[in-house]
Amino acid sequence: MNEKWLLMMKFLIRILAAFFPAVVSAQAASLALSAEDIRGPRFNINGIRITLTGAPPSLSLGMKLTEVAIQGKTWHNLHFSCDRFHAARDAIRCDKGALRLAESTPLPVTFRLSAPGRTSDVKTLDVRIRNSAGKTGEGWKLLLRTGRAGWEGTLTAANGEVARIVQLLPVSENAILPSSTKGKISGAAKLRADLDGPADIDAHLAVEGVAFSDASGLHAGENISITVDAEARRTLRRIPGQKAHGWEWQADAHWPQGEVFWQPLYFAARGDRFSARGELDDNILHLRTGKLSLAEIGEIDLSGSMDWSARTLHDLDLDAPDLQMAGLYSQIVKPFLVNTSFSALKTAGQAGVKWRFRNGVSEMLDVDLRGISLEDEGGRFALHDINARIPLRATALTHAAITIRGGHISRLPVGPVHIPLEITGLNEPGFRIPRMEAPLMDGRLTLENFSAIRQGQAQGSPPGWRWQFSGDLSPISMEQLTRALGIQPMNGTLSGKIPRVTFDGSAIEVQGALLFNVFDGTVLVWNLKALEPFGSAPSLMADVDMRNLDLDLLTGAFSFGNMEGRMDVVVRDLELFDWKPVKFNARLMSSRGDYRRRISQRAVQSISSLGGVGAAAAIQRSFLRVFDEFGYSQIGWSCRLRNGVCDMGGIESEPLPHGYLIVKGGGIPAITVIGYNRRVDWQELISRLQRITDANARPVLQQDRQ
Amino acid sequence: MVSSIFRAALLMLLSLVPLAGYTQANIEIDTPAIASIKRSMQQRHGQLEPYYSSGAIGFTRDGLIAMRDANAVPLAGRQSVNGLIAAENQDRNALYREIARANSHPEWEADIRSTFGQRWIELARGGWWYQDGNGGWAKK
Repeated sequence: MNEKWLLMMKFLIRILAAFFPAVVSAQAASLALSAEDIRGPRFNINGIRITLTGAPPSLSLGMKLTEVAIQGKTWHNLHFSCDRFHAARDAIRCDKGALRLAESTPLPVTFRLSAPGRTSDVKTLDVRIRNSAGKTGEGWKLLLRTGRAGWEGTLTAANGEVARIVQLLPVSENAILPSSTKGKISGAAKLRADLDGPADIDAHLAVEGVAFSDASGLHAGENISITVDAEARRTLRRIPGQKAHGWEWQADAHWPQGEVFWQPLYFAARGDRFSARGELDDNILHLRTGKLSLAEIGEIDLSGSMDWSARTLHDLDLDAPDLQMAGLYSQIVKPFLVNTSFSALKTAGQAGVKWRFRNGVSEMLDVDLRGISLEDEGGRFALHDINARIPLRATALTHAAITIRGGHISRLPVGPVHIPLEITGLNEPGFRIPRMEAPLMDGRLTLENFSAIRQGQAQGSPPGWRWQFSGDLSPISMEQLTRALGIQPMNGTLSGKIPRVTFDGSAIEVQGALLFNVFDGTVLVWNLKALEPFGSAPSLMADVDMRNLDLDLLTGAFSFGNMEGRMDVVVRDLELFDWKPVKFNARLMSSRGDYRRRISQRAVQSISSLGGVGAAAAIQRSFLRVFDEFGYSQIGWSCRLRNGVCDMGGIESEPLPHGYLIVKGGGIPAITVIGYNRRVDWQELISRLQRITDANARPVLQQDRQ
Repeated sequence: MVSSIFRAALLMLLSLVPLAGYTQANIEIDTPAIASIKRSMQQRHGQLEPYYSSGAIGFTRDGLIAMRDANAVPLAGRQSVNGLIAAENQDRNALYREIARANSHPEWEADIRSTFGQRWIELARGGWWYQDGNGGWAKK
């Protein structure tokens, strides 16, 4: 930018210098000069019109340039006028001038152009733009000196108002522009040129309280203070047969104050620093060494090259061996994980990143995690002491080693786990785990043939990750599992074969059946499907078949009152929302086969209680209360849950004219339990069951009371 | 106040919408999942409402919401508005899918979405922004 300004000023000098002898010699009352077009290697000016009116010493100068193009930037309708214009033999001076671009407010400008000495080779231009208010001496000052061997320009700012300059910037669409009139710049920029053109630049500038924004506000900054020290020297490149120039440059920037939003990232300044050095040759900007120091994250070393005119990155090497995970996550990673399970984490540990980008393509990315912990703020999961070396290559298959020392998912403890992850390329990564084992309580979870790929926008399915796996669960004790889950303690073991599980972007589907061994029987879960598992309203669907459950173990677990025998449970069209059933057709029935069938008095009471408060008391009033347990031949109960109401029935093969048979007596003493109430509110049924199991947990008190 | 307006709007939306071409579609259908999504949207509405009014967020043609003018939000708040929009759109997508599914016609989702899209705009308050037929933003 400075260079362009200086070029423009240099051009003004040329015009004024050309004008100078005419001014001095002309004693006429008015003079007008116009030119259609002036072209130079780096600039092009159209529609030049210069007028001079009045007579010395009170001349009035007017200058209008219709179009000024310098290095691809175009200014339209540049006006300069000066009411107090003085011309003498060795100097011209404007004590009260105004510069404006198109419709912008005029900038108060003064200048003095002098050509001391006899020859006209040495000229000095001193231009000042005052602040609109404030102390005298504040504002912009440009000093330009041309001589036979070249020229030199210095732009000095003392609390120079950014707004003064901004309105003179050429406007292009979608440009990111300063968005407020606040902001000041102090410091100096110096450009020296010899006969071959600009030779060196030195700039030491401090920007204070500047704001910028694009039209949408998605790339914006406010109240930004930055100090920049930069220098560049022209170098002679040794190319046989031709004389070519390049530049060596270095820059240091410090960002102590302000905030920037760059969709979706937000940064508040914390004294971050950037220092870099490199070269500029033929519009290719080389970054030899660059160091970005981000507070709370760490240091990032950069090198690479970019096409300066096309603004495209050719090569980049990024090396950041020691980054703080907490800062890296909260400032950079988190905004990209909105609406995922990882959008609200507490993180700790160190991360290393090494990235190589060549000819516009990512060649490698190495991620190194050391002692990382991830803890969900909602308490859904926590993983501790994660160590990983994750290499990614452009096209080659790579193997990552990830270990997790421990943690929990939901209430289940995790780890230690080793994950042998295979990654199939960098630019369209896919992940595979041929096989891994993870201890789960006293058992073991085996995962096989895991694969995940990211699918782009395709017809009929949302973009995102798709994954699948199969697996196996070796026996874990139900006692430990139920304790960990904080639910009713149960005996038995849980084990099973996990057939193919797939995630298609919106639903997790288990193809085949899940098999569990609990209560000495088997539980088969099939047609299992979780809709929107990671959304705000996840629901679960399944069909369940339970065979030969041991009633002794089952009733013992739930303080229902002891029963002996075997039970089959068939559940169809089960639909859970928020882990609560909203729909199902369920049937409980005694299993086929020969086994001991006894039901305790307390269990009979429990079953009766489910039908209402009155039924429970009936048995207590009859002679049956003297027996502790009874024989039965069959038990059956069904519930069809719809809209919060359970439609109940009993043993299907034994229909009754009124009510339904739940327990059919058999043996001595036998007992028969009949239900009369066919419709019951599901919530009411659940709370009754809750009361029964709670009450049975204190049997002594219960009996005393009755 | 805000939530009662929202409830009224949603109620009107759900009860008045005749689904073009699918007269048997019950858009009032209430399942626990739909109730939960509506609850979540209703809770969020109070947070979104000032951004609708300021023009920061507008209603899109496809029944979602989008950042229209981030300049209306203080810089430090733009990230959280992004998050609100993403969460709201996740709920809206889930709502359309659930209503279609609860009607046992998942293939109706696109029609339900476009019907909702029109009605959200019809029910928007004066001064709120929406995407017109050409995809440009218009102020109601």
